[in-house]
Amino acid sequence: MMVKDLVDKFDLAVTAGESGLDREVTDGYCGDLLSEIMGNAPTGCAWMTVQGHQIIVAVAVQREIAAIIITGSQTADDDTIKKADQEGIPILLWPHSSFRLAGRLFSAGVGNPANA
Amino acid sequence: MRELSLHILDVVENGITAGGNCIWIEVDEARKKDQLKIVTRDNGSGMPIEKLENINDPFITSRTSRRVGLGLSLLAAATKRCDGTLRVDTRPGKGTEIEATFRYNHIDRAPLGDMAATITTLVIGNPGIDFVYSHCIDGNNFSLDTREIRTEMQNLSLSHPVVIQHLSEIIHSALKELLTGKNIS
Repeated sequence: MMVKDLVDKFDLAVTAGESGLDREVTDGYCGDLLSEIMGNAPTGCAWMTVQGHQIIVAVAVQREIAAIIITGSQTADDDTIKKADQEGIPILLWPHSSFRLAGRLFSAGVGNPANA
Repeated sequence: MRELSLHILDVVENGITAGGNCIWIEVDEARKKDQLKIVTRDNGSGMPIEKLENINDPFITSRTSRRVGLGLSLLAAATKRCDGTLRVDTRPGKGTEIEATFRYNHIDRAPLGDMAATITTLVIGNPGIDFVYSHCIDGNNFSLDTREIRTEMQNLSLSHPVVIQHLSEIIHSALKELLTGKNIS
């Protein structure tokens, strides 16, 4: 599945990194503690977080994360948007909790071995 | 919390609940030393010794509206996560000083947040309280004292929209200047 498929399927708003919409999403991950994400987020994942500062883009680049999804009606800082555009890392917005979206992604086959 | 300024709102609220009528807030961004320090001080009644001995325990609280008090415990956890420290100095009848330090570049250090919005929120919500806010970035200082502003404004209340707008602009532009290395006295 590509990032743009997630955008269409779950009605996510693209706030930055449009050039990366054709990146492949192979897994999902939730978390807000950046050191933990740095250690554990799988390559190619869609990462759900409430953080909006620019370090999230650096983490996504480092871990080769496919897309960042900012959940809970939070938004990305201006610096974050600039960096994500430069790096081509899509930042998508979702108004409800990470839990709600993670459940939908998993049901749609993202990171779910049963549907692989 | 998503931003450190929310911790500031939280601990300042504690100081006001403790009966303080003047609150000091100091932010020191020493980027070359890789340290961020936030100090808040009030002239309230001081903190109960029981809380002081159990800063990390959210179930020890003077709050009566709910069983847990999270403010200081959360701040303690935030500093610890970022290789920092939390120091609480409280004196019965004199007030409390809280000093939180963080490693500036620690990956888990939340951004400071919007200090102009924080200070104006406090001023609007607490018309009887004075605030002394100082902010230092790499040795350059800015400070603001609502006691002085009250005298200047004479007829206008501090929470008047015009005054708040003015405060917000002063803080925004001061912080921008501090970042470019200017000293504002």
